[in-house]
Amino acid sequence: MNDYLLLCIFLAIAIVFPLIPLALAWLWAFFFSPGKPGKDKGAIYECGIESTGAAQVQFQSHYYLYALVFLIFDVETIFLLPFAAAFLKLPIAAFLAMMVFLLLLVEGLVWAWAKGILQWK
Amino acid sequence: MIYLHLLKLLAPEAILVVTAILVLGLGLSGSSGRLRPLMTRLTLLGGLIAAWVLFIYPEDACVLNGMVVLDPLGRIFKLAILVLSMITVILSAASPVRRHFAEYLALILFATVGMLLLAGTEELLMIFIALELTSISLYVLTAYLKESSASAEAGLKYFLIGGVSAAFLLFGLSLVYGVEGTTNLRALLAISPAQATDPLMLAGIVLTLAGFGFKVAAVPFHLWAPDVYEGAPTPTAALVASGSKVAGFFILAKMLAIGFGASAGMAAWSQFRPGWLPLLAVMAALSIVLGNLAALAQSNVKRLLAYSAIAHSGYMLLGLTSATEAGFTAVFFYVIVYALTTIGAFGVVEVVERRRGGSQLQDFDGLYKAAPVLAICMLVFLISLAGIPPLAGFFGKFYMFAETLAASGEGSNPGMLWLVGLAIAMNAVSLYYYLIVLKHVFVAKPVDDEPCKSAACTPVIVVLALVILLLGLFPDALLEPLRAAVSFYTASLNLP
Repeated sequence: MNDYLLLCIFLAIAIVFPLIPLALAWLWAFFFSPGKPGKDKGAIYECGIESTGAAQVQFQSHYYLYALVFLIFDVETIFLLPFAAAFLKLPIAAFLAMMVFLLLLVEGLVWAWAKGILQWK
Repeated sequence: MIYLHLLKLLAPEAILVVTAILVLGLGLSGSSGRLRPLMTRLTLLGGLIAAWVLFIYPEDACVLNGMVVLDPLGRIFKLAILVLSMITVILSAASPVRRHFAEYLALILFATVGMLLLAGTEELLMIFIALELTSISLYVLTAYLKESSASAEAGLKYFLIGGVSAAFLLFGLSLVYGVEGTTNLRALLAISPAQATDPLMLAGIVLTLAGFGFKVAAVPFHLWAPDVYEGAPTPTAALVASGSKVAGFFILAKMLAIGFGASAGMAAWSQFRPGWLPLLAVMAALSIVLGNLAALAQSNVKRLLAYSAIAHSGYMLLGLTSATEAGFTAVFFYVIVYALTTIGAFGVVEVVERRRGGSQLQDFDGLYKAAPVLAICMLVFLISLAGIPPLAGFFGKFYMFAETLAASGEGSNPGMLWLVGLAIAMNAVSLYYYLIVLKHVFVAKPVDDEPCKSAACTPVIVVLALVILLLGLFPDALLEPLRAAVSFYTASLNLP
């Protein structure tokens, strides 16, 4: 049970720790700063560049399809790298299994290609 | 040659994947309207070969720490799942899915692969992956009708609730793994009693049950079911209601009996002990009551079938609370019979929907005049669901209730009588709404007098109705193989 106690203490500290500077800032603002809100003062501070427009803009859903196709290559790499590292010690069946895996991925890509997903409209 | 051995064990799954790839390729090669019959036939051929291959390698195996398991029981369930999926394919041959038909078939095949894997594994991670493969394919299949907002809504609801429940399931499995240090179900069976009642283990069981509760649409995880059944293309709804349910109950039973076998607890009257049994009993009671009562108020037959499915999930959870070999056999029998019945009912709904443009109760008016064969099939399905002899539904329910009572009665304690009594009372309620549908089919005046042309899937529906009738008359045809397979399985568990 001791471990859980430690976890609880850790959790409490984790909650309190970010609250302290927030509370200090709030107290500072309450006691010392004059309340003069304005357009520039209330603006969002982002690297000093003036913000333009709303954050909720529409963008093409096509983007997601691209990201998904990219994922094919991503997953491919994850599996291919250990396979390549241990290549010389693997039996021929492992090579075949890997080729099947690649075939499945390539088939996905070919399908997406033929469906015209790779064309940016 | 472990890979070759693995490929042999997973041959049905591999064949289905190859079929899916071929169908996808066909879909790319030309106009989907002309190739539609060819793609359907190719899919059916793939399913047929997969079913055949299932039986030409009769060796039993358990490889990769239980990730791939093959035994007689699993084989029966794989066959059932394959049959249900192929019926779904036949139903979808004339479905409202017009565009991207090749992808529709391929997704059905992928979902089937997921269910087959689910029926052939005893490892927590593999269970999760197979469950996700099934679910994700079904989400897409549910939202397939792009023009219909109901379909999109159903897909979104299914996806969101499914995603949350998958998170619950994974968290639960991770807790189980954290306590026991193994992901193999058989290894979990051998844990010590102290570990079995560890609070963390119990929390893991609760979360896991929440995840599976979603899969089998048990109250309080049922909210997606009515919308999905109503909004999804009817073949998809049929697959969700039948194949996915069979796979879900099979793996749930395995999970409870083997994985959590040591922390069963007790749900008999006034003898409650923590474990999965009381949880299951509460879920069963809620499902039976809510499913049957909510079905009374439905005006859409697909929604009605959804609430009836929730109630049936309750009955089957009740059967699982017996936690005996005979009780599980009864549940396995019932879930297969239920899946065959409900897919048949969805077949009739599909035909009516195509003719009359909807699946409201009014759309079934005078079906008997327009298509007597379909009407009689509908009668068989609904009466079997209601549990009236001599149909298979009656026998399955009777056997399930009887085994549950027999397993729990000890001396003067009424045991599970409270739950079985509730189930029987609620079953009487269910008769009312099934008969309402039949009243529309047989008694109500038809909207138009023109007879329906027989649909392509009518022979399949007739065969299903015959199977339900025959299984009611000769239940041993299915029960004996199941009983043998279950006892074979239990015997394999007791081995060191």
